[in-house]
Amino acid sequence: MPKTLSCIEVTQLSKSFGKIVVLNNISLNVAKGEFFGLFGSNGAGKTTLLKILTGQLSADSGEVRTAGYSISDPISIKRSVGIVPEAESPPTFLTAREALELSCLLRDLKNVNERVDRWLDFFDLQVKSDVLCRDLSKGQRQKLMLASAFIHEPSLLFLDEAFINLDPIYQRRLREYLKKIVEEGRTIFLCTHLLEMAEKLCSRVAVINKGNIVAQGAIDELRSKEGEGLEEIFIRAVNGENAHIP
Amino acid sequence: MVKMRIFRDLNKHLLIDMIKEEWRLHRSLVGGLGSTFFPLIIFVMAATCALIAPLIARNLNQTTILLMLHAASLFYGFYVGGFGSIGEQIMTKRLGQVNMLLQLPQIYPISFKKVMATFFVKDSLFYLVYTYVPMILGISIAATYIGISQFGILRLGVTAFLAFMIGMGLSFVSSAASSRSKLFGALTYLIIIIIALLVYPFNILQPQQVLLPFAYWTDRSLIWPILSIMLSIGLAAAGSLLIKERYEIKQTKFNNSLLKINERLPVTGEIRPLVAKEWLELSRSGNILPAVGGYALNLLVIVFISWLFNYGFGIPIGFNVVFFSAFVGVLGVMTYSSLTIIEHNDYLNLMPLGVDSLIKAKLMIYFILTSGFTVGFVILIGLIKGEIYLIPQSLLVAACMSIYVVAVTAYLTGLWTNTLFFGAKTILKFALMVIPPLIIIEIGTIILPFNSGLATLMITSASVLGLVASGLLFMRLKKHWRNASFSYISNGE
Repeated sequence: MPKTLSCIEVTQLSKSFGKIVVLNNISLNVAKGEFFGLFGSNGAGKTTLLKILTGQLSADSGEVRTAGYSISDPISIKRSVGIVPEAESPPTFLTAREALELSCLLRDLKNVNERVDRWLDFFDLQVKSDVLCRDLSKGQRQKLMLASAFIHEPSLLFLDEAFINLDPIYQRRLREYLKKIVEEGRTIFLCTHLLEMAEKLCSRVAVINKGNIVAQGAIDELRSKEGEGLEEIFIRAVNGENAHIP
Repeated sequence: MVKMRIFRDLNKHLLIDMIKEEWRLHRSLVGGLGSTFFPLIIFVMAATCALIAPLIARNLNQTTILLMLHAASLFYGFYVGGFGSIGEQIMTKRLGQVNMLLQLPQIYPISFKKVMATFFVKDSLFYLVYTYVPMILGISIAATYIGISQFGILRLGVTAFLAFMIGMGLSFVSSAASSRSKLFGALTYLIIIIIALLVYPFNILQPQQVLLPFAYWTDRSLIWPILSIMLSIGLAAAGSLLIKERYEIKQTKFNNSLLKINERLPVTGEIRPLVAKEWLELSRSGNILPAVGGYALNLLVIVFISWLFNYGFGIPIGFNVVFFSAFVGVLGVMTYSSLTIIEHNDYLNLMPLGVDSLIKAKLMIYFILTSGFTVGFVILIGLIKGEIYLIPQSLLVAACMSIYVVAVTAYLTGLWTNTLFFGAKTILKFALMVIPPLIIIEIGTIILPFNSGLATLMITSASVLGLVASGLLFMRLKKHWRNASFSYISNGE
């Protein structure tokens, strides 16, 4: 990976679908080793931004570099990062184990069996290792998507509503793992509506509303008063500075 | 009474919404121009066929032509009517992230039977407007030149559409029965096959006794269209009633074999695990037999076309084995297309690879599945026709054209052959790329007995050029599909 202080650099990024402007002149920086949270209302542009950052979508204008690579080189980006999408969709006709093996083979990883066993154990999926992915529960599919994103130990992780569908035990297990890897110097970009969870994890956040970044910084910097929670910060940012918080 | 209630209960608004959904889905896939172009093609083809009908009528009697038309309609309906498997596809998320009105029963108080009955009606209207109306209009344009009355053509359109509806109904019932029990499904298919065999080759039943819309043309009695309407409604109702309301999620277990298959494959790079994945998907989804069977059926179609030329058009061309070999690749388009509809592949958007890698893997699977049949077919036809000396040249033609046509198909339609192939631009490009070398080879085969030197030059150079062009297309796949996503709707542009 090319040497850079920022893991994600976004400058004046815009994206439209037809006449609908989804992202409007967005600028954003995420440093190495940060646990960064992105919040926004439904349809605010979070998933579109994440897809552009991970090379799944092209931008109309602006500069975007992820893990040191321009988004015009999506394959290098995807090789360097781990992505957990909003909707879980593992391969229908592969078993749980094969889905993870495929992830390793496509990334040209060594020690495939060792890696696969580690993540099947982590999510307690060994008993389901020979079951077709289509026959797994929603939560089990979500665990597979997480395992597939973690299996190559990427230095940068993009998680879009990664905690949804997980029970409290696995939410905690995942939270502890994410904390640990950030301590090790890896970077996480998290999109979520679970603000309580994000407040415990994120060092810096941004709020996106109607395609614009309306607030950005460390949670403490964004607080207007002592003890203000992330939920209040979010509502204030989305509704405007003086808006009434119900 | 119960059967009829399903149709009485049809929700008008749901039907209208399904028609809108179909239209918008179609437009989103092939564009507005493409959507308009398809019925136009049907119109032109029907007009052309009608204009050459007198030529065919000189060699085949009218009854045979009518029988062929109705039988083709019946098979067309049977081909498109397998709605019974849709429920399973939806429940197992085979359509990826695409949501359709068919999924309503999952969260709304509406039965899947009712939704499927509406879907059946919607599809019938779609095929009527999109295929049969332009077909009849095309024939009617030519009517004045061929001396058939407009009323006669209208009647032909009605009976042909009824044959289509019966075919679609039969397919609906069989597929719905299969979704309940494999044995039940196999039985319905077996009954259909036995009835077909009793008609031909055993001649125990007459075609008009089975193909009721065709029976109208034997005695002009209105009872046959009325019975046909009742039969098609009955089949549609039976199919709807057989549809399962719940699809239990069974935990299907398989031996983990991806790594083993991957190690055995004689290819390298990221394509290797993709070929292994494709093979597992093909075998576990039960699609190997339909893909291989479909290809074998295509080869029989080639033989049928030659029969049609010899006995239908009465064109006394001595078709040799080289002629047959050139067509092998053209009909492989459908087999390649069938390989692109097995899995949604959304998850590959997260992996470090481009769409071109999966296209290449699918091409590899295509050749693994079809090469043996192609070689066997060419050798068999060569032996039957006593043209052993032409077999090596025929194998070269079959190999080159097979590779070229499927390379063109993959280049133009990528992972969405089934839908992009209906686009105006795609069809035109395909025709411009495939028809010229095919014509050169076929002219070569025709003049082969008279000027073998020139013929061999034409055949060999067109074949080799096709092979070279395939290589170029293969290399350009990456650039052509660089912006495409693996998701369901993506035209790569």
